[in-house]
Amino acid sequence: VCWHVYGLLHRADHNYNEAIKAYKQALKIDKDNLQILRDLSWLQMQMRDLNGFLVTRNTLLNLKPNLKLNWLAFCLSKHLTGDLEGAVRVIDIYLETLDADSPEKQRDYEPSELALYKNHLLGEISPHRGYLHLMACKPLVVDMGAWMLQKAKYELRMAKWADARATYIQIFQRGLTEDYRVHAGYMCSILERPQIPKTIGTHTLVTTVVLDQKQRQKIMEVYKATLARKFGRSKAVQRVIMTLMDQDELSVALEAYCRKQLTKGVPSLASDLQSFLLLESPPPSSPNAEKTFVLATDPLDIKNHATYQAMVKIADRFITNLESCKKYDPNDTDEEPPSTILWAWYFRAGLHELAGQYNEGIALLEKCFEHTPTAVDVYELIARLYRSAGDIAKAVEYLDKGRDLDKQDRYINNLTTKYMLAAGQPETALERISLFTKHEGNPEQNLFDMQCCWYELDLADCLGRKQIFGKAIKKYTAVVQHFEDFQEDQFDFHSYCIRKVTLRAYTDVLRWEDDLWGQPYYGRAAEGLIDLYLKLHDNPGLLNEQLGNGAEPDYSNMTAAERKKAKAIARKKKKAAEKKAAELEEKQKAENNGKALANGPVDDDPDGKELLKSKVPLDEARNYSAILSKHAPGKVSTWILQFDVSMRRKKTLMALQALFKAKSIDAENPDLFTRIVEFAVTTPFVDENEIVMSVVKSELPSLLNGCSNVGDFVMRMSETCKSAVETLSLPMRTAIAAALIKTEKASPKEASELIVNGGLNGHGMTVENCAKALTVLQKMGAETGTWEKIVKEGFPLSTLFASS
Amino acid sequence: MPQEKEPLKIEFGGITANNVEMLRKLNTVCFPIAYSDNFYKDVVARKNEGLNKFAYFGGFVIGAVCARVEDKRLYIMTLGVLAAYRGRQVGATLIQSILDYYEENKNVELAEVEEIALHVHVSNQDAIRFYVSKFGFEQGEKVENYYRRVEPPHGYLLFKKLS
Repeated sequence: VCWHVYGLLHRADHNYNEAIKAYKQALKIDKDNLQILRDLSWLQMQMRDLNGFLVTRNTLLNLKPNLKLNWLAFCLSKHLTGDLEGAVRVIDIYLETLDADSPEKQRDYEPSELALYKNHLLGEISPHRGYLHLMACKPLVVDMGAWMLQKAKYELRMAKWADARATYIQIFQRGLTEDYRVHAGYMCSILERPQIPKTIGTHTLVTTVVLDQKQRQKIMEVYKATLARKFGRSKAVQRVIMTLMDQDELSVALEAYCRKQLTKGVPSLASDLQSFLLLESPPPSSPNAEKTFVLATDPLDIKNHATYQAMVKIADRFITNLESCKKYDPNDTDEEPPSTILWAWYFRAGLHELAGQYNEGIALLEKCFEHTPTAVDVYELIARLYRSAGDIAKAVEYLDKGRDLDKQDRYINNLTTKYMLAAGQPETALERISLFTKHEGNPEQNLFDMQCCWYELDLADCLGRKQIFGKAIKKYTAVVQHFEDFQEDQFDFHSYCIRKVTLRAYTDVLRWEDDLWGQPYYGRAAEGLIDLYLKLHDNPGLLNEQLGNGAEPDYSNMTAAERKKAKAIARKKKKAAEKKAAELEEKQKAENNGKALANGPVDDDPDGKELLKSKVPLDEARNYSAILSKHAPGKVSTWILQFDVSMRRKKTLMALQALFKAKSIDAENPDLFTRIVEFAVTTPFVDENEIVMSVVKSELPSLLNGCSNVGDFVMRMSETCKSAVETLSLPMRTAIAAALIKTEKASPKEASELIVNGGLNGHGMTVENCAKALTVLQKMGAETGTWEKIVKEGFPLSTLFASS
Repeated sequence: MPQEKEPLKIEFGGITANNVEMLRKLNTVCFPIAYSDNFYKDVVARKNEGLNKFAYFGGFVIGAVCARVEDKRLYIMTLGVLAAYRGRQVGATLIQSILDYYEENKNVELAEVEEIALHVHVSNQDAIRFYVSKFGFEQGEKVENYYRRVEPPHGYLLFKKLS
């Protein structure tokens, strides 16, 4: 009993590993205690000790075979340890133990879920068995939608094309015409492809994989013959047909589409149509893989896209006609309501935004303001344009005005908060977000309780930029805590879901939890933390500054008298700061006099100072980098950070591995290029053991694209840059210029030409990238006036490049 | 005068502390005079959607009317419609709704009210015509120096006796 209680205590403290140990000890004494076994099994599931879970559930089943939960849990344990056949057999044996007229065998929710779960297992073993079982269990199933989708998937896998097509029509008739994933499946059945690609949003097979003209024609015929007739009012069917059209037909269809949307007044028209701007992605690495599409995002790509140019023509024509005769076309019979021109301007401004033409967009939106100054959407768009054009302060101004008009709009309030944080105004941001929090005392505490990750991340980014490390680290760590809570929260579901037989959803949740540390918000928090910790590691004096001690003057170079004086000054400063802090506290106490102190948990460490003191920066950075490498290996930034951490830890081979991993994801990445150069320049001089150095020597040439030394590598890159300066992105040009200086292959003037001569042509032309290029020019000691002038002409609204 | 088009189909909405800034914005672009903060505070405090309302079209505020009871008079303080939406009887619909509100409440809370009135600028012929021809108002006395920052600073009282 003692061990049992000990285990319970640990479980309450969330020390699950310790709890498992205690329970196992308890079992040694009392082998068949049901309560202990049950608790142990849930703990093992929480910690994903699947083999242990299997053993425990097996014991439980043998002890108490009349309980349905034990059977299902045992089946699940077999499933998760990989024994699918075993899991299916368990279900079969369980069903055999029941009478023929048992309620478990009638059509109801739980038997239906069990049957679909069993079908899922069979489907993983072989589609034939899955299909047969699916047809057999139809009378039991209540979730007919899922049943039909599964049937269609089996038919695709078993090459039953006609059957699949019929099933999909049935699915559409149930009402799933607006689900683009079902359309993707239908297209696969038309083109006789067994595998449905994974799609998001409005994307289907057609917009994901590059199909040839014959294939598109085939799909188009089927859609026009069957779907367009049967489901004429479906928006999705219309849209899919538009994605299949060639350019001329598409322009006509787009015009009709835009007319409807503009009269109705749909603000999202520009971003809706952006999904038509597809580019063929670079040829895949393996020759047999299919070519895929990627969405055009860079203004240069968009401007050159034929569909975009068609959209611009349509929008311009509409605006001209609406302005002169209030109709889309002079031959139309009815006039448009007064709001249509507003939306036409707004749409055109959205198109300007896509092409990076911020000034023109802003001019149109000024017209919108004159027309309808009460339209909050216009404030939102103009703020976005100002931000992209480089004047975030103005963006905040506009956005706040819009927010003021409708104080009940939570969306615009949140957006204003975001922009204020981006503009470096954390105090006003807190004021804005507090308008919508239900707090007593500290609104930040309420945001923490509500797990409001976006606010905490944006605030941490803002504070990081302001070099307020303590609080920034605290906020990132708060997000990390939220994710740890997410992992904690699943504990109760283990018993609950199995009891309620929602096994399909439960296994999905388990898989999601396994991948929790690869989620984007966690990635942002971890990357932010690594960034700040590395900065602290690189600059130890910063830590003292952050703790309010002020930069410690260098005592070693002073005489005794000077040292005494410096220490006295430091002591006085510290005393003054302490007095000020005490006064502030007194003032706050006087203000709060009378207010109950029960304002929720008081934060002991509001500025994160204790946090800063207690952690060793490089260790923390390494911990987070390890988690990211394990769970987010598909992101290039993970490996870039892993490189940075490994270099500081003097782990040369890990750094080398990180470079190779990054290269396999995105070989043209400018950050990767900079780090390859750094590695090649610094590593030969590091005193390492021979095995490491020999590995480095043999592997380095493939990183340097075959060049024997880093100087040649950089020179070759700069040659490509000079010959085709418009094709390289600005960050890449900046990286090459910096590398030329680092490898001493060019003078500052020559290197700066790489950046300046390209002007604003090429990809990656944003104000931030231009500012980064300016910093690099300043660091290498080159002349910056020409570059500043070029940027100022291209981005006249930018405050960073204000004219002197 | 251009042929009158179909009336614009608008919806009404109340003026609250959360959207009173829309009213301020509307008044700023419609009128040459600026109203004080107290004006807006009072509108919100009155909480009378029958006499103080927005006109919405397509989800936007495009017009508003603010009226209040002063002794035996129902007084219209502001009536404004955004320029782009004029000529579609939005103003008329707003004024009519005030008159309808009077009809619904003349035996209850508005029992004391005997007339409805407003002031217009002496040069605002369109407004005078609007109230006189469409709604049967009478042009009353000229009020010298009614306006402060407009030239000339005089206005007319327009009124209509209510049964």
